[in-house]
Amino acid sequence: MLPTFSRERMRDLASKTFQVGFLVTAFLISPLSHAEWKDPLNVPSVKTERAHESLLLDVTRADKRLVAVGSHGHIIYSDDNGLSWTQSNVPVSVTLTNVFFVSGKIGWAVGHDSVILKTTDGGQNWVLQFDGMRANQAIVEGAQKAVDEAVEVLAAAEESDDQDAIYEAEAHLENLNFALDDAIYDKDKNSTKPFLDIWFYNANQGYAVGAYGMFFYTNDGGQNWLNGISRVPNPNRFHLNSIVMTGGNVLTMVGEQGLIVRSEDLGETWTEQDSPYMGSFFGLAAEGDQQLLYGLRGHVFYTQNSGLNWLEVDTGAEQTLLGGLVGKRQTVLVGSSGAVLMFNKAMKITKAFSLEGRKDHSGIAETAEGGFVLVGEAGVLRIDANGTIQKEVISAAKGEL
Amino acid sequence: MSQEKHSTAPVQKILIDDAAPLLERVLFKNRPLVLIILLALTALFGYGVTLTKLDSSIEKYIPTQHEYIKNFLIHADDMKSGVANIKVSLATKEGDIFNAEYQDVLKNLNDKVSFINGVDLSIVRSLWTANTRWTEVTEEGFQGGTVIPSNYDGSQRSLDQVRQNILRSGELGRLVANDFKSSIIDIPLVEKDPITGGNLNYQVLSRDFENIVREGLVCVDASTIGLSDGMAEREGYKVFTSQLQAALESKTAGFDVLNFEHCKVNNGTNTDYSMIVKLSDKNSPYNVYMTGTPKKLGDLMDGAISIGYFFLAAIFMTAFLLFLYSRCPRGTIIPILASLVAVVWQLGALGLLGYTIDLYSVLVPFLVFAIGISHGVQIINGIAIESGKGADKLTAARRAFRGLYAPGMLALISDGMGFLTLLFIDIGVIQELAIAAGLGVAIIIVTNLVLLPIVLSYVGISDSGIKNAQRGEKSNFILWRGLSYFASRKAAPVAIVVAVLLVIGATYVSRDLQIGDLDKGAPELRADSRYNLDNDFMVSNYSTSSDVFVVMAETPQDMCVSFKVFDTLNRFMWHMENVEGVQSAVSVSTISKLVGRAMNEGNIKWSSISRNDIILSGAVQRAQDAKLINSTCSMLPVVIYLNDHKAETLERVVDAVEEFKAEYDDQVDEKYYSYSQDEINQALDAGELDSVPVRLQLASGNAGIEAATNQVIESAQSTMLFFVYGVVIFLCFLTFRSIRAVACIVLPLMVTSILSEAIMVWLGIGVKVATLPVIALGVGIGVDYGIYIYSRLEVMLIHGKNIQQAFLETLRTTGKAVGFTGITLAIGVATWIFSPIKFQADMGVLLTFMFLWNMLGALILLPAIACFILKPEEIIARYKKRNGDIMPAG
Repeated sequence: MLPTFSRERMRDLASKTFQVGFLVTAFLISPLSHAEWKDPLNVPSVKTERAHESLLLDVTRADKRLVAVGSHGHIIYSDDNGLSWTQSNVPVSVTLTNVFFVSGKIGWAVGHDSVILKTTDGGQNWVLQFDGMRANQAIVEGAQKAVDEAVEVLAAAEESDDQDAIYEAEAHLENLNFALDDAIYDKDKNSTKPFLDIWFYNANQGYAVGAYGMFFYTNDGGQNWLNGISRVPNPNRFHLNSIVMTGGNVLTMVGEQGLIVRSEDLGETWTEQDSPYMGSFFGLAAEGDQQLLYGLRGHVFYTQNSGLNWLEVDTGAEQTLLGGLVGKRQTVLVGSSGAVLMFNKAMKITKAFSLEGRKDHSGIAETAEGGFVLVGEAGVLRIDANGTIQKEVISAAKGEL
Repeated sequence: MSQEKHSTAPVQKILIDDAAPLLERVLFKNRPLVLIILLALTALFGYGVTLTKLDSSIEKYIPTQHEYIKNFLIHADDMKSGVANIKVSLATKEGDIFNAEYQDVLKNLNDKVSFINGVDLSIVRSLWTANTRWTEVTEEGFQGGTVIPSNYDGSQRSLDQVRQNILRSGELGRLVANDFKSSIIDIPLVEKDPITGGNLNYQVLSRDFENIVREGLVCVDASTIGLSDGMAEREGYKVFTSQLQAALESKTAGFDVLNFEHCKVNNGTNTDYSMIVKLSDKNSPYNVYMTGTPKKLGDLMDGAISIGYFFLAAIFMTAFLLFLYSRCPRGTIIPILASLVAVVWQLGALGLLGYTIDLYSVLVPFLVFAIGISHGVQIINGIAIESGKGADKLTAARRAFRGLYAPGMLALISDGMGFLTLLFIDIGVIQELAIAAGLGVAIIIVTNLVLLPIVLSYVGISDSGIKNAQRGEKSNFILWRGLSYFASRKAAPVAIVVAVLLVIGATYVSRDLQIGDLDKGAPELRADSRYNLDNDFMVSNYSTSSDVFVVMAETPQDMCVSFKVFDTLNRFMWHMENVEGVQSAVSVSTISKLVGRAMNEGNIKWSSISRNDIILSGAVQRAQDAKLINSTCSMLPVVIYLNDHKAETLERVVDAVEEFKAEYDDQVDEKYYSYSQDEINQALDAGELDSVPVRLQLASGNAGIEAATNQVIESAQSTMLFFVYGVVIFLCFLTFRSIRAVACIVLPLMVTSILSEAIMVWLGIGVKVATLPVIALGVGIGVDYGIYIYSRLEVMLIHGKNIQQAFLETLRTTGKAVGFTGITLAIGVATWIFSPIKFQADMGVLLTFMFLWNMLGALILLPAIACFILKPEEIIARYKKRNGDIMPAG
């Protein structure tokens, strides 16, 4: 016993000596190294034991796995229905707003600074595909192109001497010039815009949408992201808060000030829809033609014919609804100040209540057990199918740091 | 000591006047002149006492030379107004705050406290002030209003509206308790007293709040507290009668009732009527709680006043003991008067030198008094013994002086030097404590070694006192016999083995000794003090922490708003929030993210720092209101809320900040931080800088200041121990010229020092500003016993006795005085244990322990060590070499 003990002691001593030596060396060389601020786009997300308690904005399922994204570039995943979470390797530390998986392995996350990240290993490692500097460049080019086209349209109108057409073309051009000025200003100031949602049709074809009408698409799995803003009838450049598939080839985007736009050709062309409400919409929970549209101050609208007409749902809630999910047995909406609304299979409201703690939530996913994982300003929260908060301790996965 | 032994020639020789030391001749030949001078000085210092003032400035309690504190002081003005406010919480015992009566009491209380002198009326905040608003995002943009709606009428509908507004206002956890059972009135204070124009007197302010808040009156239904009116009146409650109602309505009652509208009149026949109780009464339907730095300082100053009573108590107990000891009224009163003269001189000297009294130096008079008494006792003892031998009053006084002035001076000088080592601690109160105490012992040399024997040379000792001393001399007191065995080879090993075992045990225990304050709440006050109980209530019912660590982010002037700066703070906050013991962090970045969210319909997805300066500027106004940006836009505090202020927590926090700084602080030249906006822009254009520099500076907030204090204390602790022991060893060696003598005197002290660390661990006292001086005081004063015992022991050895005999003789004369001294000193400091001020109590416990243990060390361990290491032959040889055959006085 004694020899082993002393060997261990020696080893311990040696390692301590080494550590001290290392620290001394580090101390000696540290004044020489130039400490400086680095842009969060160039700083990998720091791993901590509390990432699951930080501001998280979206959560989704990648096969059996749950993946959540949020502030400081945090992406965390859980293979035990949200009890313990592992932090992913993420090359940026900007706030991420949304995550989408097209399969168990392949997924994308978007966020502030117009970042788009991709994973091909179920969310463990992520690479940066796109960012705000590239987005600004593309937006300026797009706006310039639109202006050029509008100038031609105006010239054509003047040539035909059609006063109405001239008037319309002038107005259109003026609007586009504003857009171009804004785009140049943003580019010069490095002022970037956040993406608020991402959706992929398959491993190649997808859309990233966001603030001020930002709309980018890819046909090669995100290797190239192209500016598609001119496809969307959104002259006021309202925020596009969400993009959802609502039918065979049908996509719907909802956004600021009651904006609803719809595409029936997988996002090639878009048309504006009549809106039942002038406040903002944050999402659409859709199961075929049966849909729930939700937004500011507890406003929820129900349709059973894919939006031909909307019926307001009396929710009794005043809180803004920010996230929703069509689950196996019920549809659940979550929002500010702990708001939770539950709907049955027929999308009839069954429950409306506020969670204890009254934190804001913006994302929800269903666990394999039939409960739900909510994410928001206080990180991860688990509730069961009845909406009761699960008390088990949520933690960082062991041995991950 | 028997008469025969002194009738030898050498002893006779010292009675010859010429053999007397010069000092003695000068003093005793001019007794009237000396007395007149001392009297005049007493009058002068007496005048000085009237100049002393109690000082409540906080700066003296913190290490102003520490880097953190320097950084803090640079920005002190920017952060000041965030500190000086008082929070009053009104809690209901039944139900919640959503009832009309509660709201009426709150509203009236709010009005009353708003008009207390010193309150900044315009920014008082409660549910009932117009600046407490809710806002909400609607389809049309922002919508908002006051939390109490303008059409409030106390109806259930209104109250429901209030509840809803509170939820929308974000005040839950701030102004309203998380459980809805209480709410806060937040009362900021102005800086200067609007009436006098001087600094606000927190003591007066604190009492004003007590009078209005805790003594505020409310009605309570007699039936609800189950008292018939006869009983109610016996308990001292007023019954609410129609006369009282009329008086209150016409404002002639001389007092107000906060829930007047809800009082029920007693018409003599009904049983359901109201009685008037104080808000803090056990039968009051409400509880009130008050916290805030000004309140704390007020409570502390009130506590300081009780020190006066402790001083009186100490005087009476000492007088009683002194009489028991001397059995002579003169020998009791005169040393006490001499010691009080020392106290007057010490306080007067401080007053004349322009020093103020603080919560530490207020304790010095106790020490001066106790040390004075202990030396006075030696003089009385000496005079009584000499008188017993038949000497007249003057000769007895001169002989006592001659025998005691050398060890007395040595003891007092070592006390003083011990105190002066406290100057190494860079904290104002401690340095002033050192000066006050050092001055005090210097004064005792004059008052108790000069004034006292001269006075006694006139008045002498009463016969009863002389007889008592003779009895003592001859006594074969069983205790002394017993103790003398510790100087024999039989019992000495026992004492030494026990001491070694104690040292080993104590060393083991004291590994857990912690730096800093260990209790939660305000560490200056007791954990069960009113203030700390109130503070506990606030911390557990509101989302707030009383332990705040502030890091100051500095930029050049007018350059604080940029993506780089806000992003740095954002990352820093998250870095800190991951540190164990940190609850949360708040800075301008928090506000910026909230503004980003508010501008986008409250959507949390916008909780991010914008890269657009114009959007960032949107946060500036709100951040300035919240004191998160200074007025010159060059400093942004990051406020970090901690679970506690334990030293390990603070160390972790400091380390984490340093770690972040190492990575993110811009290593640019200092000068850029004082550049103007234009100069910075030029430097940017010239490529000298790549971006506006920012650096994080430690530290402010109570926890930041405590972290700095802990660092100062940790480094001062060993320095101070080194110096205090250095001084004691040096002085002992200088006097006794023997390493062995030094070992005999100093080793017992070291045992006590080590044991006291273990005591601190047991009692949960950390090494802090208050306990550091204890080490210096304990060693500095503790050495006196050793010096007296050893010098006597040496004399006896020179007289040719063996060690045990010599020690028995020593005990018979000096031992009694030492025992008495230990107890007197212990009494003086033990009264502090009852102080409402926690650190005074801690000092009291430790000093009492040290004084008693040092006494035991001198009586038990010293002889045991002496028995092994002293060589009587060497001592005699050394003495003879210096003094020839003349025997020392004994």
